[in-house]
Amino acid sequence: MTTKPIVELTEVTKIYEGKVMTRALNRMDLEIETGEFVAIMGPSGSGKTSLLNLISTIDVPTYGQIMINGIEPERLSQNELALFRRRELGFVFQDINLLQMLTVEENLVLPLTLDGLPIIEMERRVKDLAEHLELKAILDRRPDELSGGQAQRTAIGRALIHKPKLILADEPTGNLDSRSAKEVLELLTAINVAEGTTVIMVTHDPIAASYCDRVLFIKDGEFFNEIYKDERRQTFFQRILNVLSLLGGGNVHDLSSVRLP
Amino acid sequence: MTFRQFAYRNVIRNRRIYAAFLMASVFSVMVFFLYSMLLFHPSIEDRFIQEIANKGMLIAEVVLFFFTVFFLFYSMRAFLQARSKEFGILLHLGMAKSQLRKLVFLETMIIGIISIVAGTFLGYMFSKFFFMIVREIVLLPALPLYISWQPFALTIGAFVGLFFVISSFAFKFIQTDKVSELIQRDGAIEEGYTFSSGRGYIGLLFLGLSYAMAISTTNKIVIGLLFLLPPLATIGTYYFFTDSLPLLLHKFERNKRFYWRDFWMLSISEGIVRLRENARMFFIVTIVSTVAFMSVGILASLTSFASQYREMHPLGLVYQSKMDNELEGRHVEQLEHELALKKLDYTLVKFQVLEQTSSFTERKVSIIKLSDVNDLAQSFGYAEVELMEGDALFLPPTVSSYEKLNTDAVNTVLEESGLAIKIDGAYSHRLFANHAMGANAIVLNDLDYDIVLEKVMQTQRSVINYYAFNVLDWQETKDIGVSIEAGISESYLDGTNLQLRYAFDNPGLRYASFRTTFSLLLFVGLLLAGVFFLASGSFIYFRLYTTLDRDRKQFEVLRRMGITDSEFKKIVNRQLIPQFFFPWGVALLHSSFAFLSLQVIWDALADISIVKELLMVIVGFTILQILYFYLIRWRYLAHIKALD
Repeated sequence: MTTKPIVELTEVTKIYEGKVMTRALNRMDLEIETGEFVAIMGPSGSGKTSLLNLISTIDVPTYGQIMINGIEPERLSQNELALFRRRELGFVFQDINLLQMLTVEENLVLPLTLDGLPIIEMERRVKDLAEHLELKAILDRRPDELSGGQAQRTAIGRALIHKPKLILADEPTGNLDSRSAKEVLELLTAINVAEGTTVIMVTHDPIAASYCDRVLFIKDGEFFNEIYKDERRQTFFQRILNVLSLLGGGNVHDLSSVRLP
Repeated sequence: MTFRQFAYRNVIRNRRIYAAFLMASVFSVMVFFLYSMLLFHPSIEDRFIQEIANKGMLIAEVVLFFFTVFFLFYSMRAFLQARSKEFGILLHLGMAKSQLRKLVFLETMIIGIISIVAGTFLGYMFSKFFFMIVREIVLLPALPLYISWQPFALTIGAFVGLFFVISSFAFKFIQTDKVSELIQRDGAIEEGYTFSSGRGYIGLLFLGLSYAMAISTTNKIVIGLLFLLPPLATIGTYYFFTDSLPLLLHKFERNKRFYWRDFWMLSISEGIVRLRENARMFFIVTIVSTVAFMSVGILASLTSFASQYREMHPLGLVYQSKMDNELEGRHVEQLEHELALKKLDYTLVKFQVLEQTSSFTERKVSIIKLSDVNDLAQSFGYAEVELMEGDALFLPPTVSSYEKLNTDAVNTVLEESGLAIKIDGAYSHRLFANHAMGANAIVLNDLDYDIVLEKVMQTQRSVINYYAFNVLDWQETKDIGVSIEAGISESYLDGTNLQLRYAFDNPGLRYASFRTTFSLLLFVGLLLAGVFFLASGSFIYFRLYTTLDRDRKQFEVLRRMGITDSEFKKIVNRQLIPQFFFPWGVALLHSSFAFLSLQVIWDALADISIVKELLMVIVGFTILQILYFYLIRWRYLAHIKALD
């Protein structure tokens, strides 16, 4: 594992002001090393998505500092931010979000066309990716003609094609059956290992989390716990479950009422 | 909360969605009301333009009404589809179908009543202004504002009925038997990406054929084409939008060098989807705009046709009097007096016309004295003509007959007077209106003329005196000789017109009535086109609205992917601009070609003044369309970016 952090959060607080003020993140510190595969877990409303949005640079913290790949997004203009996202980040969504009117191939090259790469280069990258992600046979299909796994593989391809430093995945297996989910997770792991791309994945699913190097738990907008993977995925999975059960019980520090006389 | 309150709150709290729908309905009601205000206006009642104006307004009302029916149906459908999720939830919660039907009915009626009230109110507010515009354009005396129950009754009656029918049918647009689908659907109707390239080529072929034929029309086939071209072009246009355009865009997609550049991929692919969804609407907008352009163009050319009127009536005021007309002196004096009162310069030429029968043709011939003709010619600044005794010249009845008559030479005898003459050639300048002197007219040498005159005076006394007032400002003469004109009109009503011993022709007055009628029709047409234009913009807006959820999701993906604001605007522009201006452009092209072929019949079209008027119309509408485009883009972008 390399030592240089690609994502660094210092005392990040995010408050949403609306009719009701909500504190989504509270004094959060976080460091993610280059080449890490990190899962972020936590119950609904714990601030996972807010955290991901902040790292995605589509939102800015109320207090605190975020550094991504040595850059502080807050200091960039909207246009620079857009270009930064386009070049440095890749996104995978829960509901996949392929553009319906484009074919698989066109969905793949979309980020590149935004940047105006030469056609030959685009075609070369599509070819590479299609081979890698087993998309060759379905390049001409429309998203509505794909299975869930194929669609998510396409989406991952879209997130990879511009060779980003950081991939952000929001529940990438949330809408998939177990077989497709396994496929997608193995793919993400393979990319992480082969290309050294950093992957941050928000998930609910302990199985998905067990594929990662490190699992970070947050609760009510604050850091709760973190665990690192060990030799066997099975035991790692068990440990994740243990933390989750602690996380789930509202009052772990209290005595359970059943045990009281 | 009662059921009615629920319906009411639905409308009031959804006002953002309902706004465009409401705006277009209010505008339709308003224009309809304005038309009916003019239709029932008491002071146009007894005017000569009344009939044509009324007919024009009536046709406009009917067209407007049917268009509104279509428009409301269409937007209602798009609208209810956009809300299918809401209906799905209501059904899921256990609302009975009959209740849902009642809900939709109530909501639509609320919208209907609001738009009727607002439209009529605004219409009444604006009617004075409207009358002022009408007065300016049509050169009528001031039209006072009036209160009458008729326009209100017509407007309210027509639209209450309309909204009632639509409210009752609107429910049919919701597929109530598939609740789960209703809930899941994000409003957009998924349509296939299929198109038939066969039909695509047919569309292109038909359009090409129509254009080619329109260009190469000749006088002989133009009538046939008049029946062939419109259906051909209509079918062509339909296929053009449903199949040819997707075909062409598909071809473009294959060309990666362009397609994969500069956001074309997003714009084009989105464009194809929009096209599939809206092809029929684009077709209708195109045809409607073409008809509007055509009618505006034709009306404009009719208006400028009037400017050629002067050439056809070179003499200005003409008073004709038979020998035994007792009023002759008084009338001529009256005309001179009125002209002087109006401070109009004129030259008065008096001349006589005799009638004889030609032995050559056995027909009546009008005879004019050479010195009279020369006097007239002088007043126009033409050169004098000389004739020998026994010689005569044809006086061509129309411009086109000059060439044929000029090469003719005829020996004939004027039967009543027994004078033998040789008619050789024709008089080259235009002095009289077409057929003013009858189909056969000749110019005689003064001496010969006097011989004929003497004979005529002895026998039949059929001599007509002409007083030609050559007025320079001929358009200003519409108030001259009104009482004489009135006397003539009266005699027609009495049936005593055959005993009338005089006649009066005032081209200025007729020009004014011509101009007035056509300007009024033009104005009606423009207002109608305005409604169409507003409605077509609203169609596009509804369509955008129905797919808003999908578009929002897409924007979210693009935002994360890293798209700058200006880039996004560029993409939206490339999606919206064709939707707004493509049907418009095709309509323009259609009508240009149609005018090219109509030019064969309508020589007046070459006149510069129509080009100007047409340009004004087109530029005006284009500016309006651009403003509308910006308005809708602004709303659309705001909706897309609003993350709720």
